[in-house]
Amino acid sequence: MSDQTHDLDARKERDRIRGTAESTAPVILSVRDVSVEYKTPYGWMKAVNNSTMDIRRGEAVALIGESGSGKSTLGFALLRMLVRAARVSTGEAIFTDKNGTTYDLFRMTDKEFRTFRWDKMAMTFQAAQNVLNPVMRISNTFHETARSHGWNDKAAVKAKTLDLFKKVQLDPNRVFDAYPFELSGGMRQRVSIALSLLLDPELLILDEPTTALDIITQRAIIDVIKSLREQLDFTMIFVSHDLSLAAELADRVATMYAGEIVEYGPVRDVFYRPEHPYTVGLLNAVPPIVGEEFTPLVAIPGATPNLLNIPSGCPFHPRCPFATDICSTVNPPLVDVGGTHFVSCHNRDKVTRDQEVWEEMEATVGA
Amino acid sequence: MLDMTEQTSKDATINKGQPIIRLEHIRRDFDTRGGHITAVDDVNFDLYPSDILCLVGESGSGKTTVARMAAGLLKPTRGQVFFEGRDIYEMNKKEFGEYRRAVQIIHQDPYASLNPIHTIGDMLRAPLLKHKICKSRAEATKRAGELLELVDCRPVENFIDKYPHQLSGGQRQRISIARAMTLNPRVIIADESVSMVDVSIRVSLLNTMLKLRNELGVTFLFITHDLAVVKYFAWEGNIGVMYVGKVVEYGRTPGVIGRSVHPYTRALAAAIPEADPDLTRSKEKLQLRSLDIPKLTELPSGCVFHPRCPYWIEGLCDTTKPKLIRIDEYREVACHAVEQAVARGEDPRDLAVTDQLANQLMRE
Repeated sequence: MSDQTHDLDARKERDRIRGTAESTAPVILSVRDVSVEYKTPYGWMKAVNNSTMDIRRGEAVALIGESGSGKSTLGFALLRMLVRAARVSTGEAIFTDKNGTTYDLFRMTDKEFRTFRWDKMAMTFQAAQNVLNPVMRISNTFHETARSHGWNDKAAVKAKTLDLFKKVQLDPNRVFDAYPFELSGGMRQRVSIALSLLLDPELLILDEPTTALDIITQRAIIDVIKSLREQLDFTMIFVSHDLSLAAELADRVATMYAGEIVEYGPVRDVFYRPEHPYTVGLLNAVPPIVGEEFTPLVAIPGATPNLLNIPSGCPFHPRCPFATDICSTVNPPLVDVGGTHFVSCHNRDKVTRDQEVWEEMEATVGA
Repeated sequence: MLDMTEQTSKDATINKGQPIIRLEHIRRDFDTRGGHITAVDDVNFDLYPSDILCLVGESGSGKTTVARMAAGLLKPTRGQVFFEGRDIYEMNKKEFGEYRRAVQIIHQDPYASLNPIHTIGDMLRAPLLKHKICKSRAEATKRAGELLELVDCRPVENFIDKYPHQLSGGQRQRISIARAMTLNPRVIIADESVSMVDVSIRVSLLNTMLKLRNELGVTFLFITHDLAVVKYFAWEGNIGVMYVGKVVEYGRTPGVIGRSVHPYTRALAAAIPEADPDLTRSKEKLQLRSLDIPKLTELPSGCVFHPRCPYWIEGLCDTTKPKLIRIDEYREVACHAVEQAVARGEDPRDLAVTDQLANQLMRE
């Protein structure tokens, strides 16, 4: 019992350090001024706008935001899996592998990228059933993925796959020769995570890994991701609209709004000392669930902007209780406020979680 | 007739008088390609005026089926649905019409539930004119404006001539609420009505619905899988936790959320991640014996939860179905282990003792 308590303390301590202290690990992915646009009948729509962030080796970074914030688009752009109607219009993303070789993600040829993708950087998708070919056995999917990356030793692929299945707590015998329809949603999601790890990628992007799953299944996926991070050595970016998932899994959190990263910092800084009004607004809307105390919720006034018509200046200013004149004309830059915590807000000194301020604003703006 | 203004929200469960809706031993079977299933089995509820009742459960728990039976959209295989004391399937046409008007539904998906070729004004005017609540188009337009105000769609001119595609998801859901309110219903059945909107908008939608309940005395049957939503919306009401077709725990919201008794409710509460890094990472977990929800075609014998339950008592839980028993003034729980704890004189709400025991059992 005391051993377990000790383990728990040690883990908490590590989590605490991960969540606050400045990581000194080398940067694995450097994203600079990346913008992504979609072609629409009404012109180019900016889904991601001048996003800049550094991701350090070994970290788990959460991209959070509501629908239309650009979080998934950014994830897809990094793996060059955007739909045809989209383009990366500005910026660069540089990946540095463990040998120090750098890869310019947006300037590699398609052929080069096909070898790079899944080998160095892989992705798990939101709808796991769409990733798995319905007429192929799970085993075939794994073999084919390996073969297309030049790994032809079938026995070795099978051994690796079964080992991954064990790591994601799937029964290897039941799953390996099954068809996707024979598995539950949670199992398919775990298969998809195993598939993304088949070639030992250094960076894994997970798009909404627990969305649309039941609570207990969600918990199982969270626990699987946690244990994988303890056993294997990979960096992780996960995209989610769910703040609690970020609180649970992330070392670092980036809040996105209308295509921009508006706050980026260690998880405990972002949750306990948020400085961007939008992050504050999100946190006010998701109180703790357990406990016998009632926590009033406060909505963020107004609605998310139309991306074809993003407000001038700071995109959040029409919904922000702290906005001043400058906010409607000048878009604030993302500045370091200390301890690798970045915020883009003109009035960050005035930002408060005080609910009255928010309620007053809601009353004036309305729905 | 009960005076609705007299009811204090505090006494939600001990309201006297006649329930608006009573579900008595309702059961619903379906024949599917996979075989015969019982989606809902022996569910009982009383819904009193201006009550809030939330049904929570994972997919396949039968919560939506219960809602559809309460709304008269689906006939129970067994059991009865009463509206103001009358069985809805023994009503004459006029009475049934009254019931239909008094019970309205707000659906999950505001993109599917609003007709794209009608303006918001058309949608709100149609029922007002059809049911002769308003005598002229002008009067109906005025009333439509009032309804839009009621659901916080202001200024009204920005909404009334718009088509659904011109509105955001949150705004569309407000229109669905306004449309449900056209016939001055007494009960609103909301099936996952806020699940498709973003968190920042969700709260204000819930506030709008709470306003209908607090100011107009509308009764709510609210279906959701999201415990955070339940906690906020039904704080002054009741929760029924459903698991594969059965109610396993029922009671006042603060108690059910704060000190859950049934092992399934506890597992849910323990499994939910919280939006607070320290809290969520140090949360005590309740380990289940299995992750899989049983197939509805092959339900386990005895208590349907026993193959997953950490408190499972061999020879009892796998053979005998537990009944919902009352463990205190407000709470009902269907669990043999809880029943035995009560018989031993223990307080089953005492989390620490039972969970320690459960985790110990799991390790052995």
